[in-house]
Amino acid sequence: MRTSLIAAAIATAIAIPSAARAANCESDLTNPVYLQIGDTQQPLIKVLGRALRDNTPHPITLVYVTAGSCTNINALLNGTAITTTMSYVPSSVENPTWKASDPPLSCTPGVGHVPDIANSNVFVSACTQDPLPNTITQVRGPVQAYVMAVPEASTETAMTVEEAYFVFGFGALGMVTPWNDESQMFIRAVTRSTLLSWAYNVGVPAAKWKGTVPGTPGADKSTDVVNALKNSPAPAKAIGILGAEVYDQNRATLNVLAFRSFGQYSAYYPDSDAAKLDKANVRDGHYTVWSPTVYLYPVAAGTTTPVLADAKYVVDLIADRAVSPAPNFDPTDSVVSVGLVPDCAMKVTREFEGGNLATYAPAEPCGCYFDSKVATTTCAVCDTNTPCAAGVCRHGYCEAN
Amino acid sequence: MRTIFMTVAMVAAAAVAGCGGGGGTVDKYDARAVDAGIIDATTPSDDASCFTNPTTHNEIINACTDAQPVAKDPTLPLLLDDGGLPPLPQ
Repeated sequence: MRTSLIAAAIATAIAIPSAARAANCESDLTNPVYLQIGDTQQPLIKVLGRALRDNTPHPITLVYVTAGSCTNINALLNGTAITTTMSYVPSSVENPTWKASDPPLSCTPGVGHVPDIANSNVFVSACTQDPLPNTITQVRGPVQAYVMAVPEASTETAMTVEEAYFVFGFGALGMVTPWNDESQMFIRAVTRSTLLSWAYNVGVPAAKWKGTVPGTPGADKSTDVVNALKNSPAPAKAIGILGAEVYDQNRATLNVLAFRSFGQYSAYYPDSDAAKLDKANVRDGHYTVWSPTVYLYPVAAGTTTPVLADAKYVVDLIADRAVSPAPNFDPTDSVVSVGLVPDCAMKVTREFEGGNLATYAPAEPCGCYFDSKVATTTCAVCDTNTPCAAGVCRHGYCEAN
Repeated sequence: MRTIFMTVAMVAAAAVAGCGGGGGTVDKYDARAVDAGIIDATTPSDDASCFTNPTTHNEIINACTDAQPVAKDPTLPLLLDDGGLPPLPQ
C-alpha cells in the first residue's frame, strides 16, 4: 500500500505541475514545441495550445514566450537561446475548467534551447532587408489588423492618415486636436509589430514616433496600452495603438477609430461597423492597416525538411494547411475565435508592409466558413453525407472553388 | 429645384447601393458622390464615389461597400498649400 501511495504521488507531481514547482518545459511536458511570439498572438497560442494538448491523434505542448516581432526573428536567425520562464496551457485532464482568459502555467526552458518557431506580425522585410538563410523557412499565417483605440469616454470616431502623420510624427507640434498631448499618446517599442505596421502605413518611421511607451522599458506589452487608455486622466486626449484582436477583448472600455488611408474617400473600421466583429473591411481592403502574421522555423539547409517535425505541424495548422495525423479539432476555428482573419478568407493581399493592395483569390477559399463564424452566410452547408451541388465542401460550407 | 431633387435622389440611391450610406457630415470626399455615383472600374474615370469591380489599390480602398463609412475633414494647420505633407521634424 505504501509503495502504491508513493507511486501515485510521484505520478501526480509529474502530471500536474503545481505553481510551487514550475514544470520543466523539456522533461515534464508532452512533445514540447518552443515558440517565441509577438504578444498580440498570445490569445491564439493559448486557444491553439489547449486544443493541441487535447489533440489525441498527436498531442503537442506549445511553450511560448513573448517579445517583439523583430526580436523574435533575430532570435531564430542568431540562434539566441530562451532563458526566461516560459508559458503553456493545461490540458483538459489537468484542468477541465481552464479557459483562454485564464493565466497560463509556467515552465523552465531546457538549457540552450532556441525557439523552434519564431513569429513576426509584420513582414520580415519590415525588420531586416537581408534575405533569410536557406536554413529557415517562413509561412504566412492569418492576417492581423491594427487599430487606433481611444477610451470609452472619448467622442472621437475616426482618424485620417494625415492626422496620424501629424499626431505621431510631430507630437504636440502637429497641432491636431484633441491629440496634442504626447503623454496621452500610447505607442509601443520600435521592435513591436503594432508600431511597425502603423509606421509603414502612416509614413512615419517607427523610431520617429512621438508618444509614450507604457509599461516596463524593453518589456512593454499590449496590455500596458490597454491599461494606459483605461486609466487615462485625460480620456478626451488619449489614443493608443493595439492589435485588433487585443482591442476586441477590451471593447467594453475602449472604442476603435475608423481610419482613412491615403487616397481613400472615407474612413472605415476593421469591421463593417464599430459594433460588429466580422473584419469585413480588412478582408476586402477598406481597412488598410493590417499585416500577415509570419511563422518561421528551421529546416535542413536548402530543403523544406523541418528540423523539428512538430514545428511544421504547428505552423501548418495555423496556416490552414493539411497535416498528418489530422487533428481532432478545426484549427481555423482557433484562428477565427481570437479575431484573426485566415488567409483563406482574404480578398486582398499585399507584398510588403503598408504596400498597395491587390485583389486576391485564395487557392482554397474559406469565406463562407469565416462568415458563418463571425456573422451569417447564405452558403450551403455540407459534409461527407451531404456533398455540395456546386463548389467545394470546406470547413462544412460549399465554397465557390 | 428639380435638378437639386434629382441630385439628392441620385446620392441617396448611390448610398443605398453601397457607396457610403452612413450619414454624418458631408466632407469633400463624400461630396464627390454628387458628381459621380457608382463607377464601374472597367470604365475609365478620374472621378468616382465608389468603384465596382475594383482591381487597383485606389479602386479597392474606394470600392462600393455596405460597410459604414465615417466622414472626416479635419483642420490640419501644418498641411502644405497643395495638400501635401511636410517633412518630419529632425
